[in-house]
Amino acid sequence: MNKRIVYCVLGFHAIVALLAPLLPLAATDEQDPGATLQGFSSAHWLGTDALGRDILSRALHGGRPSLVIALLATALSAVIGVALGSLAALAGGWIDEALARLIDFLLAVPTLILLLLIASFFGHDPFVLSVTLGLMYAAPIARVARGSTQVLLARDFVRVARLQGGRGVNLLIGEVLPNVWRVVLTEIAMQFTWIILAFSSLSFLGLGASPPTPEWGLMIAEARSYMTINPLSVITPIVMLGSLVLAVQALVDRE
Amino acid sequence: MNTILQFDQVCVEARDRDRNRVVTPILQSVDLKVEMGERLGIVGGSGSGKSTLLRIAAGVLSPGLRLTSGTVSTAGVNMLDVEPKVRQEMYGSSVALVAQSLGEALTSHLTIRAHFRDTLGRDVADETILSSLDDAGLDGAKYLHRYPHQISGGERQRVLLALALVRSPSLLLLDEPTSALDIGIAADVLATINRLQKSRGFALVCVSHDFGVVGRVCDRVAVMSRGQIVEHGLTEHVLATPSASYTQSLLASIPRLHVRIREPQLSVQQPVVVVRDLTVIRSGSTRALDSINLEVGKGEVVGVIGESGSGKSTLLSVMCGLVSSTSGAIHDGNGFDLSTPLRDRPLAVLSEIQLVFQNPDDSLNPVRTVEQSMSRYTHVSRDEVLAALDAVELSQQFLSRRPSQMSGGEKQRVAVARALLAHPQLLLLDEVTSALDVTVQASVVKMLASVQSATGMSMVIVSHDIALIASFADRLIVLRNGRVVEQGSVDAVIDAPTDPYTQHLVKLAATTIRK
Repeated sequence: MNKRIVYCVLGFHAIVALLAPLLPLAATDEQDPGATLQGFSSAHWLGTDALGRDILSRALHGGRPSLVIALLATALSAVIGVALGSLAALAGGWIDEALARLIDFLLAVPTLILLLLIASFFGHDPFVLSVTLGLMYAAPIARVARGSTQVLLARDFVRVARLQGGRGVNLLIGEVLPNVWRVVLTEIAMQFTWIILAFSSLSFLGLGASPPTPEWGLMIAEARSYMTINPLSVITPIVMLGSLVLAVQALVDRE
Repeated sequence: MNTILQFDQVCVEARDRDRNRVVTPILQSVDLKVEMGERLGIVGGSGSGKSTLLRIAAGVLSPGLRLTSGTVSTAGVNMLDVEPKVRQEMYGSSVALVAQSLGEALTSHLTIRAHFRDTLGRDVADETILSSLDDAGLDGAKYLHRYPHQISGGERQRVLLALALVRSPSLLLLDEPTSALDIGIAADVLATINRLQKSRGFALVCVSHDFGVVGRVCDRVAVMSRGQIVEHGLTEHVLATPSASYTQSLLASIPRLHVRIREPQLSVQQPVVVVRDLTVIRSGSTRALDSINLEVGKGEVVGVIGESGSGKSTLLSVMCGLVSSTSGAIHDGNGFDLSTPLRDRPLAVLSEIQLVFQNPDDSLNPVRTVEQSMSRYTHVSRDEVLAALDAVELSQQFLSRRPSQMSGGEKQRVAVARALLAHPQLLLLDEVTSALDVTVQASVVKMLASVQSATGMSMVIVSHDIALIASFADRLIVLRNGRVVEQGSVDAVIDAPTDPYTQHLVKLAATTIRK
């Protein structure tokens, strides 16, 4: 994808997510029983859903819950993943072996099923969801961080630092992490998109955002029965979700 | 006579990819003519444009480069302009290029025989392959079914030669044919090249940073600097009476036996490190080091030579504590046991021994500035950093530079300066100049000599270049297969070497450049 298009799409999503409440849009929960499942019109540019709510307004607001949770969860998974992976590589021996198996275990657990379990126990609490997502998605980041730390620890500049008294976490922060960061950043951005998709899937299944919150996954779930009557009600949230995920992936693909 | 290769006022530019306007000249008005059967050498430092020139002769222009004016004719054809099909046909039959990096030149999942079949077609008889391998000095039957990783560097170079010559090209282009090889093996490969050239009569263009290589295989030499040919003539004349100032400085920078940069000091006082019966066993049974005994005195410079795999670098790694020994004793001048792991050593003991690595690109953290790299663990003030930079002849503007903004020689100086900040009693230098151009190498060695005389610290310097070490060290140690095969004062070893390997090295070094 062209670099400029990628930046435009990302800019659009950022602005919309930040400014949606300030835009001159219809209220997301304002129902119009006389005008349900309508197509394009001057009152509702992208039509209305089954309850007569404005699709454009709901679609533009619909990224906010996923983005908040995804940012929180990604930050958490980045911190946990990088710390776990690089410490495992630094420690070596049985500690490394144990942590590596833990990472394997986390990777092997089916994410969505675990999330469903957690959500059905703890309800729709966004904080609990963020923490769970953060923990689950830390594993792939930890694996990448561990691998690149191992490579870096064998480099000459790290060996020189050891000879000058660098050791332990000090060595990790001083020499390794600034270089690991570049490699891991791509992985973190990838996980960000997976987390957005995971949260939308949860909402689609009824365990993420709860009605009447405007959220893309939930919008798709609500609208799928009326897909043939007003396709816009399904297409709009899919385009929003898809364009965000694609743009983030294209961005890290270039680097 | 037939002209096989002609460059006429060739100019090549490199464009900066991000900023289209920045243009760097790579070749500037290069004129060159090679007749059939002639042997031309091209010598220059890194970045002089010599490899670009060679690749253009083979019809290859690297991405980002542009031919702005002039004409190139290889066997009467401008290979940059012809159809890919024609160029493909010319490769091997009229012109062959042996590229520099031995490791990447052969395909790792194909046998030697498969490589020949790729070049000659599937139905080629094994006899043809065998005879061309035999010609290149390899026992063909032994190598036919081997993979590239199963043969040594010298053998790989011979296979590449055989592959290049199997379709009898009239022009052979060699890019640094021996730079990755041990000196002894390099000499054998060069002798093979000479023999093949004499028997087949192809024209040869050989690019190298080393006058020694060119002196062995070429009649004529062109010296390049910054994209220009600054001197051109018969090899003997250029070597004996260089006219361009660049050639003069290049020749003067080559280390020679019996020409000392630093006067030897033979009065050894108390030792700074003592090694007794040191043995290192790797991967089960390989003896990387075998019963080494060594004492380095205060203020002494010990040179260690040996071919690759002889245990030189392992010895340094054990001395500084990066590799642990299997048996034997090693302790410093105060009797501290140096087999203690690094993390359990007090800082004062750690600082005693510092190591500078071979590869300048790997010895500095790419994300840190020079100042950060130098002061992070030593916790010294900016003034001390500046003083250390001054000792290695770098100005204070280097403080804020990152490794990507420095040349190889500058990086190596920073690495030395960083080691100095720990105030070591013993500085270990692992092939510190082998990645550098010969002129840069000379200045780095001079700098090391002045640092040594100013601080009086002991040094152990490892190198494959006996002339370089002999110009610098007090005492020589020759390693082979992890054992000390010869040791003594520099003059004693050079004047009367007893070990056959040392004799060979001394003989080669003495004849590298005819004085």
